[in-house]
Amino acid sequence: MKIDLKALLNILLKIGLGLLIFFVVTFTIYMGNFENKLIYYVIRPFLNKHYDAQVRDRRIV
Amino acid sequence: MGIITAFIDDRLKKYDPIWMAEHGTGGQRTRYYDVTGVAKYREWRGVKDTLFDYLSWLSNVLAMGKMVASAPVSIMKGFWEYRWMGSFLGTFMFIDRLFEGYRDEELRVAHAQMHAIVNNLTGRIGYILSHDRRLGASKEKSEKLVPIDEVLPELFMTGFPDLFPVPLQTLPEFIICDVDQHIEPYYIDIAESFGLPADVCSRCAAETGVALDDAFPLVGKALITTNMPCNASEATSMFQRRRVGLPDYQATLAMIHNDDELALPFSREIMKETIAFVEEHYDTKFNWDAFFKAAKRINEQNNFELEKWDYMKTGYTAEVGIAETLYKLYEWQSVNGADPYFNKVDRKVMKRLRKCYEKKYQPFGGRTRHRAFLWGPSAVYYTDFPTWAQNCWGIAIVLNMDSTMGFNMVDTEDPERAIDDLTRLTQKATMRHMAVGGWDNVNAVWEWAHNFNCDMVLMNDNIACKGMLGVHSIMEEQARELGFHFIFIEHDLEDSRTVSRQNMRDCVNQYMSIVLNEEPLDPTIVNFDDSDAY
Repeated sequence: MKIDLKALLNILLKIGLGLLIFFVVTFTIYMGNFENKLIYYVIRPFLNKHYDAQVRDRRIV
Repeated sequence: MGIITAFIDDRLKKYDPIWMAEHGTGGQRTRYYDVTGVAKYREWRGVKDTLFDYLSWLSNVLAMGKMVASAPVSIMKGFWEYRWMGSFLGTFMFIDRLFEGYRDEELRVAHAQMHAIVNNLTGRIGYILSHDRRLGASKEKSEKLVPIDEVLPELFMTGFPDLFPVPLQTLPEFIICDVDQHIEPYYIDIAESFGLPADVCSRCAAETGVALDDAFPLVGKALITTNMPCNASEATSMFQRRRVGLPDYQATLAMIHNDDELALPFSREIMKETIAFVEEHYDTKFNWDAFFKAAKRINEQNNFELEKWDYMKTGYTAEVGIAETLYKLYEWQSVNGADPYFNKVDRKVMKRLRKCYEKKYQPFGGRTRHRAFLWGPSAVYYTDFPTWAQNCWGIAIVLNMDSTMGFNMVDTEDPERAIDDLTRLTQKATMRHMAVGGWDNVNAVWEWAHNFNCDMVLMNDNIACKGMLGVHSIMEEQARELGFHFIFIEHDLEDSRTVSRQNMRDCVNQYMSIVLNEEPLDPTIVNFDDSDAY
């Protein structure tokens, strides 16, 4: 079986590039603490507003 | 490669908070926005350690992604239904806080163990929510789950491999109070609005509040409660069983339990009745083979623990501070032999610890000044207290009370001997073994401190714990006689409004600066406002 080196190199290059982009994006999120900023300043206030508006079945028994 | 990382480390060291504190240019607090506890950027720990921390973060993100993928609809409904679910979003900030200042070996051990917790907990949340009747699960599906009290170790439930035990208070209270200091005051206020006195233990008040707010997942067909170790707790059990409304059995194990002759015959019968209760209500039989398998796992974990203690006594160990105590608490109280992944992590960690001991590895770059035994519950987790004590004053928390729970071996061949060992282990659970299990257990603090070569004892003082308030002055007198540096740290357990994080830190600050006349390692974290932080 003849291996097409050019095609293989092309695939490896694409995988490498994909991994590099994945690393750059996730490392930027990690280092900039962006996910926590999003949670603290956007998601939690939104959820808290919803929780505060809930009508709950509060009783002892 | 080494040359490149050394070059980058040299160029970026000015951003390393430890270097900054040593050179007077800042410290751990420099990278935070005030009050919120939100970091502007993550800690720079040098190339290798930062990349390791990044990969650990990534694997935790993936574990959470896996949880959502396992039951997307139930998870989303859970976030929408339960306020406490929203608090789990603070987990990443929690982990970052816990491991501030961790480098090299201690960072690797800490993350290996933390990932085990995240892995287990996310799996558990996904499973429970997907079986929650409130969120749409069928009755039949939900009845495979057995709600049990959180302070009842679940080893006995491994004898029912077809059932899934749910420590009922663990998700809405026991664990989440460590992650988010603002969640339990909400439930405490609900309990107090129904007339529960404000001076009871805030853990009990919070659990009661969860029950009254109808915020427990609806699972199972029979409930196992226990005689928790104080009046407030027993009241909590009563409120919960009324609200949960399932047939229940109260596993009332002996409170004073150190004496086998006195306690074991009684507690053994309770243990047998507990098992019989599950058999009757879930129409199943206890499977000894399955139980023995889990008992082998917990025996292995306890053997590792005893070996770890030998290293921890020397100081040449990477098993330190909050990483050690949180892992032990979760592994013992919440997993208790049920998850083989913890044994896998333990084996990996033990290899590392043995090497650390051989090469006389000193954690935190050898910056430790004091070795302390800590007597501390939840309030030490949401405040990341051991981490702060090390980074600020060089106080290494060698061992916490949560690590001293049942370490007896369980027989893995004979059911009669096994039930005795199981009973002994179950009696040595959270709180029962500590504050209300008899004077001997409280007094043992000095023996623990002495055996672990500590010069200091930090004793958390829950201002609402009536039992422990009674021994306040006795402990102080004993500390003086025995020559330990002794600091009482007042706190209101899960209510950070009464005693703030800074109030707690000030207890140590004052002793270290006024009594010992020492200078902090990192002046930026002596006094700061993190009242709005999770």
